[in-house]
Amino acid sequence: MFLRLVADSFRRRPRHKLLTGAALALGMAVATAALSVSLDVGDRLAHEFRSLGANLLVTPQADSLPLEIGGVDYRPVNAGAYLPESDLPKLKTIFWHNNIIGFAPILEIPITVGNPASVPEISSYIPTTEVRLIGTWAQHEISIPDGSAYVTGVEKTNPWWHVQGRWFANKPTECVVGTKLARRLNLSVGSALMIFERKNGGLESSRQLTVVGLLQTGGPEEDKIVAPLSVAQMLSDKQGQYRQLYVSALTKPEDDFGRRDPVTLAPADYERWYCTPYVSSIALQIGQVLPGADVRVIRRVAEGEGRILTRVQTLLWLVTFAALLAAALAVGASSAASVIERRTEIGLMKALGAGSGMVGFLLAAEQLLLAFVGGGVGYALGIVLARLVGEKIFGAAPQPSLLVLLVILGLAAIVTLLGSALPLRRASRYEPAPILRGE
Amino acid sequence: MLSSRSINRSMFWRIIRRLLGANRGRLFVILLALGAGAAVTAALLNLQVDAKRRLTTEFRALGANVIVAPRDVTSSNPATLDEAVLNKIVEGPHVSAVAFLYLIGDAYSYDSKNPTHVVIAGEQDGSSVEVSSVQPASAIGSISRFETNCTFGTKVATEMHLQLNDRLFLRSQGREETCHVTIIHTTGGPEDTQISLRLDAAQRLAALPGRISLVQISVPGTPQAINSYIASLSQKLPDADVHGIRQFTEAEAQIYNRISGLLTATVAVVLILTALCVMAAMTNVAMERKNDVGLMKAIGGATRRVLRLFLAEAALLGLAGGVLGATTGMLLSIWLGKAVFGVAARPRLIVYPVAVALTILVAIAGAYPLRRLASIRPASVFRGE
Repeated sequence: MFLRLVADSFRRRPRHKLLTGAALALGMAVATAALSVSLDVGDRLAHEFRSLGANLLVTPQADSLPLEIGGVDYRPVNAGAYLPESDLPKLKTIFWHNNIIGFAPILEIPITVGNPASVPEISSYIPTTEVRLIGTWAQHEISIPDGSAYVTGVEKTNPWWHVQGRWFANKPTECVVGTKLARRLNLSVGSALMIFERKNGGLESSRQLTVVGLLQTGGPEEDKIVAPLSVAQMLSDKQGQYRQLYVSALTKPEDDFGRRDPVTLAPADYERWYCTPYVSSIALQIGQVLPGADVRVIRRVAEGEGRILTRVQTLLWLVTFAALLAAALAVGASSAASVIERRTEIGLMKALGAGSGMVGFLLAAEQLLLAFVGGGVGYALGIVLARLVGEKIFGAAPQPSLLVLLVILGLAAIVTLLGSALPLRRASRYEPAPILRGE
Repeated sequence: MLSSRSINRSMFWRIIRRLLGANRGRLFVILLALGAGAAVTAALLNLQVDAKRRLTTEFRALGANVIVAPRDVTSSNPATLDEAVLNKIVEGPHVSAVAFLYLIGDAYSYDSKNPTHVVIAGEQDGSSVEVSSVQPASAIGSISRFETNCTFGTKVATEMHLQLNDRLFLRSQGREETCHVTIIHTTGGPEDTQISLRLDAAQRLAALPGRISLVQISVPGTPQAINSYIASLSQKLPDADVHGIRQFTEAEAQIYNRISGLLTATVAVVLILTALCVMAAMTNVAMERKNDVGLMKAIGGATRRVLRLFLAEAALLGLAGGVLGATTGMLLSIWLGKAVFGVAARPRLIVYPVAVALTILVAIAGAYPLRRLASIRPASVFRGE
């Protein structure tokens, strides 16, 4: 009988139920979209912030102080310490290896270059220039201990470096030249560059590089040559070594807990600290796999990122909360309206001997049914909406999550019940006679 | 004629009063929906205007994003600028500039006679803004401006085995300064391997009075604002090279666009949501009003007049809901601004009429289902169909 009554109510006024259900579905769609976007937005924004580049810097512990002013190192060539390149794949074996977006080793050396056409047959004056060459990776494939391959390089750690032409392939004959230097030496894409080495008191041509791209960085690198790491290693006789490593990692903004000194933490807290992707705990983990290295957090990037990310996330959560509240109020209002107008029906039921509890139970069941159907449809709509918004703004759609579905169904049920509770309570006090008389 | 019109008008308002008062519950529900919509709209609009501006000031956390340097610096010719350029740099409310002079010198501690070659940076704030606003760093120690205080990068301090409050000499080509270690900081940047001290001390050491190597400026604002700042500054300083630090300007532009897009999308979505909900509520009203309309028509009410009546009701509801909601919304946004940015969002008066107007529009648009009332035939209503 109960089910028949509920079914009958739906069958008798399909249009009416459709309208209330539609309002519910729309409200819940917006709630779903807001919730999925803001659940997803932290990760997305953290990715966006990686356009700031590396947030960790690794240098040899034993390194001498670099005497660098305006991107020019005044240190003698042979001073300082180096780190072994063979250790680098281990970076992808740390606890938070998935959060490491990219890394690039740097070996910078001074070299002498000239135009290949100027190599003289008989030793005489050679027009050459002293420049600096940065050896690094552009798109370098390394094999990780677990058997897979991973491609990384300055493209990932310094996304603001733009190359006209293309990056060098991993061949020891190609290079990229900064735009300022290219203008000074009159080089363009496709030109050749001769590197000279000082041997037996004179300059000897040792190696020819082809310029495959012009580099724009807005920094001192525009006055330098960027070539594969192996070229710099061969020229400086530092096979398999590098001097600096830039690491770009996805991190969680540091909170008070993250800023604590890990040495002072109790074992359980230390475990929690170690297993949270704070920039400092990732730095510690990198230090553990690279012996002899000093891992420093690039504070400017990491702290700026952390602060802005925290603000934006709070803002978005509050906005989501406001949208949820508005959706809840609107849905509650429309379900209240749908109960209010059924006064006559309620009066009739009571006149036929139904108790207030029975009437309330029946209406609540109807509203709940509507909430689940409307919530479900709203969830589907909201996922589509979230995809649209996510793709438009971040170029990537948020993944539909089961958690959001549960939250939405729960919210729909609570809101419709609350919305109809108030009119229902009044309805339970109705005297059937005046209502049936049409008063 | 005049009196009949005024009677008409007073009748019109009387009917509206009755319509509004007829069902308190429903009135409350519609007002609630409209008010909630208006509140959220007003809060978001206000916050959107404010948040975008504030976001760009948040980017200050990233530090300097514009550099003024001499043209043509090469390793053989470390050119310098005249200190006077600092005066030409406009110090806006959030623009801060710091001048630097770099030199390479020798540092001697009292007990060791072996010098350490180190980069010495003299820095001077163009304004009273503390250095940390341009160079975020984690530092220990404190600054006192009355001694030749030096800030040591952590690498230098470790290399020289220095502690806070140690004293040492800095030498460069026969000139000498004593230096008191007041701060040791870790920035992860080049400052870690430098000793920084006051600009005038560095100028004495380098024998370059009134010269600086570069100026770091932190300019907040939208990407366009930063670009036009750079353009106007390079016009004012023809012999210097003014450029943005691309690492920060590009990332800031990208992040700014994403976040403001997100905020705009949210505001649009909430507005649409409110319109739809009011529309659903109004449909219910329309269905309930069948009898009233039938009666009005039966006693000679023209469809147009009946419709005007309902539209006026909707507009009145919109006005009431809008005024109440927008006020709540403004208060909400002030609180939100405080919660998110630590500074109360300044209420913008323009948002208030916009939110109220939008709510009235939404209420009238929401009354669209009332259109169906025009097709009601009085007879069929009275038959109870």
